[in-house]
Amino acid sequence: MPIVAATSLAQLPDAAAPLIPWYAATLPFWPLIAALAVLLTLITQRGRTQAHKFVVGGVGVAAFLALHLFFVVLGEIQRHQSAEHPASAAAVAADPHTAEAAHDSGHDNHAPAPKTVLRFPLYRWISLGGEHWIDVNFFVDSLAGMMLVTVTFVGLMVVIYAVGYMRDHHGHPEPGYERFFAFLGLFIFSMCMLVLAGNFALLYLGWELVGLCSYLLIGFYYQKPEAAAAAKKAFLVNRIGDFGFALGIFALYMFISPLVQPGENPLDYAVAFKYAAALSPDQCTLVSLLLLCGALGKSAQLPLHVWLPDAMEGPTPVSALIHAATMVTAGVYMVARCGVFFVGSPIALTVVTAIGAATAIFAASMAMAQYDMKRILAYSTISQLAYMFVGLGCGAPDSAIFHLYTHAFFKALLFLCAGSVMHAMGGVIDVRQFSGLRAVLPQTCRLTRIGCLALAGFPLLSGFWSKDEIVHAAFETSPLLGALMLLTALMTAYYTFRMFFLAFGGPTRLPPEAGHHPHESPAIMLRPLAVLAFGAIFAGYLGVRLSASRDGSFLGFLAPGGFFHDYLASSTIIRTAGHEGGAWLMYLSSLVAVTGIVAAWVRYGYAPLFDPDPATFGRAWRWWHAKYYVDECYDRIFVRPLRRLGEACFGADRNLVDGLVNLVAAVPTGVGLALRSLQRGSLQAYGLGMAIGIVALLLWWFASAGGVNAALALAARGSLP
Amino acid sequence: MNALDLIIFLPLVAALVVWRLPDRFAAAVPHIALGVSLATLVVGLALWFEIGRAGQAELVAQHEVSWISLGDSDAGGLTIRYHVGLDAISGALVLLTATLVPLAVACSFSAITHRQREYYAWLLALTSGMFGVFAARDVLLFYVFFEFTLIPLYFLIGIWGGAQRRYAANKFFLFTFAGSVITFAGILYLAIRAAQLTGDRMVTFDMLRLSSLPGLSLVEQRWLFIAFFCGFAIKVPLFPLHTWLPLAHTEAPTAGSVLLAGVLLKLGTYGFLRFALPMTPDGAIWWAQPMAWLAIAGIVYGALVSWVQRDIKKLVAYSSVSHLGFCMLGMFSLLPVGLSGSVLYMINHGLSTGALFLVVGMVYERYHTRDVDQLGGLALRMPILAAFLMLFTFSSVGLPGLNGFVSEFTVLFAAFNSPALGPWFGALGATGILLGAVYMLYMAGKLLFGPLREPPNTPDLARGLTRDLTRREIAILAPLAVLVVLLGVAPRIVTDPLDPVLDAQVMRRIEGRSARRDAPPPALVWSSSVEPSGT
Repeated sequence: MPIVAATSLAQLPDAAAPLIPWYAATLPFWPLIAALAVLLTLITQRGRTQAHKFVVGGVGVAAFLALHLFFVVLGEIQRHQSAEHPASAAAVAADPHTAEAAHDSGHDNHAPAPKTVLRFPLYRWISLGGEHWIDVNFFVDSLAGMMLVTVTFVGLMVVIYAVGYMRDHHGHPEPGYERFFAFLGLFIFSMCMLVLAGNFALLYLGWELVGLCSYLLIGFYYQKPEAAAAAKKAFLVNRIGDFGFALGIFALYMFISPLVQPGENPLDYAVAFKYAAALSPDQCTLVSLLLLCGALGKSAQLPLHVWLPDAMEGPTPVSALIHAATMVTAGVYMVARCGVFFVGSPIALTVVTAIGAATAIFAASMAMAQYDMKRILAYSTISQLAYMFVGLGCGAPDSAIFHLYTHAFFKALLFLCAGSVMHAMGGVIDVRQFSGLRAVLPQTCRLTRIGCLALAGFPLLSGFWSKDEIVHAAFETSPLLGALMLLTALMTAYYTFRMFFLAFGGPTRLPPEAGHHPHESPAIMLRPLAVLAFGAIFAGYLGVRLSASRDGSFLGFLAPGGFFHDYLASSTIIRTAGHEGGAWLMYLSSLVAVTGIVAAWVRYGYAPLFDPDPATFGRAWRWWHAKYYVDECYDRIFVRPLRRLGEACFGADRNLVDGLVNLVAAVPTGVGLALRSLQRGSLQAYGLGMAIGIVALLLWWFASAGGVNAALALAARGSLP
Repeated sequence: MNALDLIIFLPLVAALVVWRLPDRFAAAVPHIALGVSLATLVVGLALWFEIGRAGQAELVAQHEVSWISLGDSDAGGLTIRYHVGLDAISGALVLLTATLVPLAVACSFSAITHRQREYYAWLLALTSGMFGVFAARDVLLFYVFFEFTLIPLYFLIGIWGGAQRRYAANKFFLFTFAGSVITFAGILYLAIRAAQLTGDRMVTFDMLRLSSLPGLSLVEQRWLFIAFFCGFAIKVPLFPLHTWLPLAHTEAPTAGSVLLAGVLLKLGTYGFLRFALPMTPDGAIWWAQPMAWLAIAGIVYGALVSWVQRDIKKLVAYSSVSHLGFCMLGMFSLLPVGLSGSVLYMINHGLSTGALFLVVGMVYERYHTRDVDQLGGLALRMPILAAFLMLFTFSSVGLPGLNGFVSEFTVLFAAFNSPALGPWFGALGATGILLGAVYMLYMAGKLLFGPLREPPNTPDLARGLTRDLTRREIAILAPLAVLVVLLGVAPRIVTDPLDPVLDAQVMRRIEGRSARRDAPPPALVWSSSVEPSGT
């Protein structure tokens, strides 16, 4: 794999970086204010059913500001480029054809793209012993701009959808309606803080706060024991990762702090990235792998993937927003952001790739043998996140972010469609319980089909472009890895449409919970879905470039590249892999997607009552269905022994440690006896005891101190001439 | 008589008044106690702002008079002075005490129904003792207050405690008393040696003088450190010496637990910070690693034992063992950031664990049980309580944005980067990040989530309680909730005045000494490969 020598970020502007406008810096606080306003309605007990208005408004403002910030960064990039390369900047501003030419020339020269950063300091948060400190400051580049737009935009759609979803059939809000919206607002705030953070401690803050929101929202139906257990599991598994993440931050400080100039904070991104090139490969490996632990937890990669399927106990909008589109991608974002450390360590990159590849196929296989729509989508999310990790590991972080961005649209769409089905089916989500829903829920069926096609990588839809780039980078790294990715793509197409046909194909069959007249979702739910579906189809074209195809074929005409990648090139991420996708790969991956879909149609097109897969795949299928018994293994290997250790410690505490201490205490039996009489006796007796004690003590002091002093005095006199 | 004397002696006077109050005023006793404690809070706040204004150089509200004087400067003798004054370290803890006492008083309104006058009298006497300990600038005065706090708490546990109250009170008293006797011997030795070394005939116990002694040998310091350790480590409590704590906590009435966890445990850590570190810096450096090992053992052990408790009060009690382990780990990193994190940890632990004990007490008053197997799903019955409990749980778990995070992060950060300890200490201590979440979420989940489970014939609303929290109870928890968030967002309101004082009083002593240590500082595992090649 052609890893280009680590590009240094030494030219990264730090203190002199321009500020973002102050009103844009208020971005994360609007959803927070909205959440607090909802809290106020809770306290005053008034307007509780109007809670959504605050949150939709707050997230709406945030989305608007995110879009604004996106263009502020774009403007800054152009200003920056026109200062350095007048020709190419004009080209970016003008039409795509010349932009491409400029881009190509840039690549041929292997000149690193100029890095553009804006910042915004708020206040000094924690002092680290006077010399260094931790600020609350924002660090905005094109990566943050892209993430913010994705997060707030998908967030806005989901919040609007939830207004309809969190109501019963009569349109009355569910219990906990206002709580739900308050938590969603808090989540958007936390996610924006995570993305905007300008130093590692603040990143950790956002990181943990989104974990908190995830906990609160998975456990939203807290009376369900499964939901409470899933919430706890999600938080704890994430904490395992955060343990490593925190150590990574400490290690980073340890390595960077000897290098910095006075007045620079080692934990600030700008400073850490600036000095990253001075770290040895070993140090880079250590920091990268520790940071990676956090990413594995948050993005549910092996071996910390176990929490995400269980997280589906939360309300569906939460699954769509937090557990598919935004929060779980935080790991990918973080690894891309810290790319400069990963690029410095071939070991770390290999580990990222290996974990990604293993998780991709592992999760896809589990998704093939599930019946719960949301769980199928959850495993698919793990698998798609693993694609992104492969992209990161193969030196194509911008492709990973591109996939993150397209995935947010189609996966949120799919989850919300599943929610729509659930809404109509009275809470039933098991695909064995119903079929033929295309007649009952025509709109949802159409939208789901779009989402499924995008996820399956059907040609010309958004998922196709982004997945293709990653597959290509994988092929560049090693053909075996590329083949593995294509196999995963085949499985993805297959299980996606297996789910689709089981739910929407075949004769109409409804569960008793659905009632007599299951109905299509209201407009307030369908409209956000339509917007997301639009994104699922067309979002990919941001990352595609029209080009005169090299071999005259149709698909070569549209090649990866274009605006998205040019934009991201100015961020702190470092691309080391090649850029162009070969046309043959596009044909191959189209073929793979179509094969998977056709295979699913052949086997499941009529929504058979008898599932043919278990027979076909035999024992392997049972392993997939049982999720490889990972939960059971963890329970046996970690949870129960630790619990037993706790019991043993408690036993030791009561008997051994306490016994020893009691034994020591029993030696001066007299003291015990005296005390026994004391606590039986009255206050006066105690007072007497105290008085005697004080007198005795004073006498003793006098004697001993006097004695010593007399001795001192004698000694002093003796030494005198 | 200045403001500091006022808050030390006002509660004591009030205690006597309350105790001897005629029967017809008995109903007013709780309110008198609350009024007095609120008055001390106002004075405490004023003193804290005064400290902020005064800067690091001087003590605030200093008052110094001779108390006991024997002999004279020619023949030799000793002087014990009543010398009080506040700097930022003691000021922060005085303010913590002043914050917690009114809450402890208010939470007793419905919980304590018999022998009320005595109860509030002891509570107020305890308050005096706690203020006195932190204010004392004379080591023997400190010691007198230190021991004095045992008496009221002994009675609070022994009379108003749970089923095993007498055993618990005795054990608590014996344990802490036994340790502090050895500390007392150490103090005497130190004072006499100080007189010898400075050639002064009078043995005095001035804190500043004892903490700036030149010329104590390493061996002496090592032994003196052990003497300090005996008294303070039991109080903290450090790992193998903690067994008195769960029992005392569980049996104590809620107010007792709050003050025990919130303030009295801090006497131990404060003792280490004020005595062991500056008075025996070489000893502290010598013992830093063993201390850190004990701290880490406490973090892990406390957390694991916490996790298997069925009694939620015991669970919170064991969590203190774990949390105070963090506090000690930060302190013995012997770095400025570690010390400041450690003091902040004292404050934060006081607030969040105090709050947790209050919440547990509120549950107990309604259900007369603290067994997690008998309770469940209370979020449905008591949404307000659930919200408070979740907030304090996450504060205790160290969620960023709340107070616990700042101190936990800085403490672990310091241990990791400390030349005295090193990355492995930080890494092992950081397992507490995970384990803390395990037992706290276990408790919150058991208590609040799942299907509703209540013992038969409960909740007991006989004493004017409501199903969810009453206004009084909300008023008790709300200030803590505000502080939990405030100190998480702006921890510098505590650490900014603190840092220069810690630097002047503790760090300078440590740094002065570490230069003349025989052994070179332990090499950092990774630092050898740091090559600043081109920036």
